[in-house]
Amino acid sequence: MDLGLEGKNAIVTGGSVGIGSAIALGLAREGCNVAINYRRHDTEANEVVRQIEAMGRKGLAVKADVSSYDDAQNMVKTVVETFGRLDIMVCNAGINWDGVIWKMSEEQWDTVINVNLKGYFNYNKAAAQVMKDQKGGKIVNISSINGMRGKFAQVNYSASKGGEIAMSKSLARELGKFNVNVNAVAPGMVMTEMAESIPPEFLTKAMDETALGRFATPEECADIVAFLCSDRARHITGEVIKIDGGQYM
Amino acid sequence: MTRVGIVGIGHGVFGRRSDATVQELAFEAFRDAIKDAGIDRDAIDASVIGAVPEYHKQRSMAGVVQEYLGLVPKPTWLTEVACASGSAAMRTAWMSIKAGVHNVVAVIGCQKMTELETAEILALMGRVGEVQWESGFGTTFPGYYAMFAKRHMHEFGTTRDQLTEVAIKNHHYGAMNPYALFRKEITKEKAAASEEVATPFQVYDCCANADGAACVILASEGRAKEMTDKPVWLDGMGVATASMSVLRRPSLVGLPSAEKAASDAYSMAGVLPVDVKVADVHDCFTIAEIMAIEDLGFCKKGEGGPMVAEHQTYIGGKVAVNVDGGLKAKGHPIGATGVSMTYEIAKQLRGEAGDRQVPDADIGLTHNVGGIGQYCFVQVMKRD
Amino acid sequence: MFKWFGKVNYTPYTKVSDFARYLKDGQLMASRCKSCGSTSFPPRADCLECMSGDFEFFELSGKATLDTYTKIVAAPTGFEDVVPYIVGVVDLEEGGKALAWFGDSIYEDEIEIGMELQIVPQIFDESEEIKVYYSLEQPGTTWSKASGVST
Repeated sequence: MDLGLEGKNAIVTGGSVGIGSAIALGLAREGCNVAINYRRHDTEANEVVRQIEAMGRKGLAVKADVSSYDDAQNMVKTVVETFGRLDIMVCNAGINWDGVIWKMSEEQWDTVINVNLKGYFNYNKAAAQVMKDQKGGKIVNISSINGMRGKFAQVNYSASKGGEIAMSKSLARELGKFNVNVNAVAPGMVMTEMAESIPPEFLTKAMDETALGRFATPEECADIVAFLCSDRARHITGEVIKIDGGQYM
Repeated sequence: MTRVGIVGIGHGVFGRRSDATVQELAFEAFRDAIKDAGIDRDAIDASVIGAVPEYHKQRSMAGVVQEYLGLVPKPTWLTEVACASGSAAMRTAWMSIKAGVHNVVAVIGCQKMTELETAEILALMGRVGEVQWESGFGTTFPGYYAMFAKRHMHEFGTTRDQLTEVAIKNHHYGAMNPYALFRKEITKEKAAASEEVATPFQVYDCCANADGAACVILASEGRAKEMTDKPVWLDGMGVATASMSVLRRPSLVGLPSAEKAASDAYSMAGVLPVDVKVADVHDCFTIAEIMAIEDLGFCKKGEGGPMVAEHQTYIGGKVAVNVDGGLKAKGHPIGATGVSMTYEIAKQLRGEAGDRQVPDADIGLTHNVGGIGQYCFVQVMKRD
Repeated sequence: MFKWFGKVNYTPYTKVSDFARYLKDGQLMASRCKSCGSTSFPPRADCLECMSGDFEFFELSGKATLDTYTKIVAAPTGFEDVVPYIVGVVDLEEGGKALAWFGDSIYEDEIEIGMELQIVPQIFDESEEIKVYYSLEQPGTTWSKASGVST
């Protein structure tokens, strides 16, 4: 299925590793020029850009802290200047710092909320400003099924992920009349580096929850994102699509 | 066909009449007119009420006026064409006599503008223009005339001072009219210091809403001559329309409806603009009086500003205009205005206008506009 | 969806309701009678010339010349939050007139009767409902680049 994304310009936050790099490469494969932002993984970020360029697209890596409002404004400005316009914004950069609430510090809460929730606000806003004026665009926010169902020892993370879903729906209402679609994708367990830090007994438990008996790959997440970024999904907005093999039903 | 004569006139005080209902206001003017005509109320065959219904709480208000005047079971009907509703009442009464249906008809223009809350007034104000393509941009009544003024200034060099001259003159005469809302003179400085409404208009460029009523009793030629030795004849009755939307008008420096109504009225009466000694014109805004004297042919198009500045519209000038204070100083109870204008011109032609009397007034005219020129009624009136 | 047209709309139902849908997508449309070819702006469903009710929309260039204008300071209900605003009447290049607000691209002291203008479709960005209108802008202003009302 041709998604018609040839020549579109995209930003993927947290695009150096994990789901983010798969989304960046997935969009590039469909024909997009892609800018990624990263915080720590310089080598990985450069490798993603190299692969994007190897596919004949424009690539750009910007070191930026997603919790910084100014960094977000600057990155979107740089991308619009470099690529000409911004068609797609994928917010993906996120962290977790788990703990039951009676052991969760204020710093633990603030750090996760700042990166995940405020970070999405920063990039959603920067993109909205551009897309409103150009009367078109696609925003996809990568959330989590834990933002829908809650998760033991994740009040900070699940609150941020639930917040991202609510943000997407509100923004879908604000931007609908400007032909901008805003959707959320909520993965279940995905086989990434971030998942590798999870103790095996939790992984087994998560696996048991799925109907398909396996976890998603980052590439499978990238597929649904690419679809939502395409004109094929033009009538979908304010939607949350789980990609979890039936883990949360 | 019979001529139609005015045999009785009455007028109430215009202003914020929180002391009276609309039918009580109507009664004041009606009682005056009956007394003036020296007739018995039973002599009246029918009444016509000129009023704009959306300002009143009472729906279909002709009925309540008719009842309060004691005219039941005689026929009555209401006429509505916005600010020209009073003239429409005049015209339909005149038509009914011309047609031989009625012999004596009372015309009552009455309006209470202050029954509504400010919020309701503001909501009505937003629907004065053509609502499909214009009101969505927040156009207002002053806004439209302000645009006419801007265009007039651009095309003819009409000045801010010339607009003010209209207000100064009308307040000058308003100060002498016991029925006027504003009975004091104004200065150029005072006008210039008033609040902005819609450029180039300030508060003193706009007429004020008022409550009030006026009444005129009309009769067929034969009855008129029996009833009075000083009848005033409605010899030229012109009415015309222009598009509701300003977007459908070829020009915005005058009212095409006024030009047409005036030329029809002149030819019906067999008079020329130069024959007119005294006129009451629809000065809802200062520019409206300048456009009116042009549309009526008192001067050429574009020369209204200088004519006003040279005081040619004062008593003693080429033609005395709005020497009762006009809408500007007398106040504008919209349904009453056309009848009030007729009252004033009848008074002038009878030679009863006191210190505001225009010398040798034998031919007079009223010019009453509805909306922003969608309707215009011109009456040429003569004395014997 | 004619109720989209105007900051306040008094006529949600009309035979030319698609006008607002076109406007939302950046197109300023006039009507053309399919029977005699006469055109109208504002659009009319029923031909003023031949009385036919068969019409089609066609897109205007939006090029216009200023006929007259005013800055409205005393506003009616529904416009309190945008007052003061400048309203202009323009003559369209293809015939007909339009009434619209001056937009952000023109400063008040630049306004002059006779100036060339561009009518640009607009979407109210702070209203939850869809509301569309058009504004008077500098020649060359495009749909996607203009937003907001000049005050």
